[in-house]
Amino acid sequence: MSDAAPALPADDLVAEFVTEARELIEAAAEDLLALDGAPGEAEAVNRVFRAFHTLKGAAALFGWPAMLAVLHAAEDGLSAARAGTLATGSGLVDLALAALDATARWTEAIAAAGAIPAGAEAESARLVERFRALLASEPRIAPGGEAGPAPDWAADLLTEVGDRASGELTAVHYRPRPDCFFAGDDPLGLVRRLPGLLALRLAPAAPWPPVEELDVFACNLAVTLLTADPRAEVEAVFRLVRDQVTIATLAAPKETAPSAEAAPRTGAEAAPRAVRVEAGRIDALVALAEDLAAARSLLGDVVARAASGTDLTGLVPALRASDERIGRLAAELHREAVGLRLQPLARIFRRFPRALRDIARQLGKEVTLTLEGEEIEVDRDGADGLFEPLLHLLRNAVDHGIEEPAARARAGKPAAGRIVLRAEGRGERVVVSVSDDGRGLDPAFIRRRAAERGLMPPAALAALDEAGLIDLIFAPGFSTAAEVGAVSGRGVGMDAVRAALRHLGGGCTVESRAGHGTTVHLVLPRAQSLARLLLVEVGPELYGLPMEAVAEVARVPRERIRDVGPGAATVLRDCTVPVFRLADLLAVPADDAPAADGPRSDAPSSDPSAAEARLAVLRSGGDPVAVEVDRFAGRLDALVRPLPGLAALPGLAGTTLTGDGRVILVLDPDTLIDGRAGEGTT
Amino acid sequence: MSLRDDGNGLIRLEGACPVEEAEALAALLLARPGAGVEWSRCTGLHTAVVQVLLRLRPPLHGTCGDPFAARWLAPLLAPSDPS
Repeated sequence: MSDAAPALPADDLVAEFVTEARELIEAAAEDLLALDGAPGEAEAVNRVFRAFHTLKGAAALFGWPAMLAVLHAAEDGLSAARAGTLATGSGLVDLALAALDATARWTEAIAAAGAIPAGAEAESARLVERFRALLASEPRIAPGGEAGPAPDWAADLLTEVGDRASGELTAVHYRPRPDCFFAGDDPLGLVRRLPGLLALRLAPAAPWPPVEELDVFACNLAVTLLTADPRAEVEAVFRLVRDQVTIATLAAPKETAPSAEAAPRTGAEAAPRAVRVEAGRIDALVALAEDLAAARSLLGDVVARAASGTDLTGLVPALRASDERIGRLAAELHREAVGLRLQPLARIFRRFPRALRDIARQLGKEVTLTLEGEEIEVDRDGADGLFEPLLHLLRNAVDHGIEEPAARARAGKPAAGRIVLRAEGRGERVVVSVSDDGRGLDPAFIRRRAAERGLMPPAALAALDEAGLIDLIFAPGFSTAAEVGAVSGRGVGMDAVRAALRHLGGGCTVESRAGHGTTVHLVLPRAQSLARLLLVEVGPELYGLPMEAVAEVARVPRERIRDVGPGAATVLRDCTVPVFRLADLLAVPADDAPAADGPRSDAPSSDPSAAEARLAVLRSGGDPVAVEVDRFAGRLDALVRPLPGLAALPGLAGTTLTGDGRVILVLDPDTLIDGRAGEGTT
Repeated sequence: MSLRDDGNGLIRLEGACPVEEAEALAALLLARPGAGVEWSRCTGLHTAVVQVLLRLRPPLHGTCGDPFAARWLAPLLAPSDPS
């Protein structure tokens, strides 16, 4: 089903949007109704504003311009109310409710049909126009709206602009919070949205720390700018970082006005958001840093001895000891540092109860969801990567696991199905399981289906025990779009769940008892770990293969690689092993590709070493498979960063950086070979 | 791939350079003092990446493919800036 796999993110994103939108709409409606009774309640205005803002952000991912325009207009109206420049009277409440109502209808249309209904544009335009009229008609007290002379910080820029500008100018001093990158802010991305920009300055907000202490993710910038854009538009651009900017309206250069005015600046007092870290963890990090410094000074002694002309071979033991000690300390330091990335699973788990209720309602089933182990901590990326697989499993449980209420009554079960989402820590791994008390998997059905679909040769299928049979639900091609219900996704099967977990460095298993229910266990590493890689080269490119998957490396004379049926194979330790060229698997050019149609054994080459093939023998599933590379290039312990979901390709596990800064692709042996395994084995 | 060391002393920024690239860029620049940055195929830079360029001031080669950066940021990132 690999052709259907790309549909997963989009479908799931829309489903996620719908779920989130319904919640936000409901909450905002309640707040708006409360505001109608008690107009002055600032916190309610804030909540409604945030709801519209979040809705807008979510809708922006999909490109529904009609919805986006309405949400944007409503956000502007509420922003004015929040700033106290627009009264939160019934005019605003009515209009915001109308906008919310339209958004709710469109959201349901998206849930049902995947698109916003016809006619939405016209309705959207009417609502936007009403917001505009409301903002124009209400008395606005515009603080600082009068033109004045430049505050000190803008004076330089004004000189720089000289007579390039006429009329009123807006000056902005923007000091982003140090942690703003973590909040997803891109300060210059805001500046970019000012079409009338006339002058821009960028300076360190505080003196730069020494280069060795450079923290690239701490923002230490102060942005000063001058623009011809009207103040209202500048305020709109910086709306979400209002606490970090000072805006002043200036008279055109060379003119003076009687009163100075700058908006109150509150950024300085705003407390930076922080990550909560156990004091013990910091102490451990400091102790390790000290050990590392001590280890380095020992290494410094060795370097000094080498420089003074001491016999170099005599220094080898000292160098080896140093290498070992620094390596151990680096590993410990890494372990401590990744600990800072751990997050409780509650963040992901909390999103499910509402989603599950909606799914159950859609299917006319009654389900209760129990969450356990929400406090278990796992790496942030791991937690994020679990969301889609878990949503898929929960849908499956409701759709296929839990029976209709009548059938449950006949089986003597309570009418409401029970689903448990549970997390447990097991050493360095975390196990997250989804259990239902439904009908369970039917081995006979799976056997029949696997035979129909030709997933396995009949003899192998016949030899499978029950556990092996139910594991087949993870096989690509087991489920198809034709019989998967609309709720369970469109043609995406359990193979996608297994692939997602593999991507996170884990795996999944299933157990089931007919009539009693099914449990799927997802296992993933608790924290990111250093992977030990075998570096290989194909042509000019360097790739990493996880050591744990490499059974052995071998050099084999080419005449011992034979063409057998559909592919090539060789015999290693009395075993026939299929041979694939890595260049072919990745569709990249190799050093000296043999003639396309000639057998490998007599491929001519000027390179004497080409008489031997370099093979990395991988364990893929059960049987060894050999991958031919151009060269072996050593080993590397490195942190492998997964590729972003949409960039994930079969065969690739992620990227890492080598010591000298090269970015290399890390291969995923399982998916690299999966598609080809059938070709090599006869 | 938006960050690439071309092996000739130039680090190439290509496409959109998101916040995550800041760390890799800083690591490369610190590992190779004097290395230049070629950004003509760069179509956008996150502020964190700009901050690395501002702090470490590598020589910039080519005209940035992002018009905003070429117009407004390039003059601020010139290595000879006295500030």
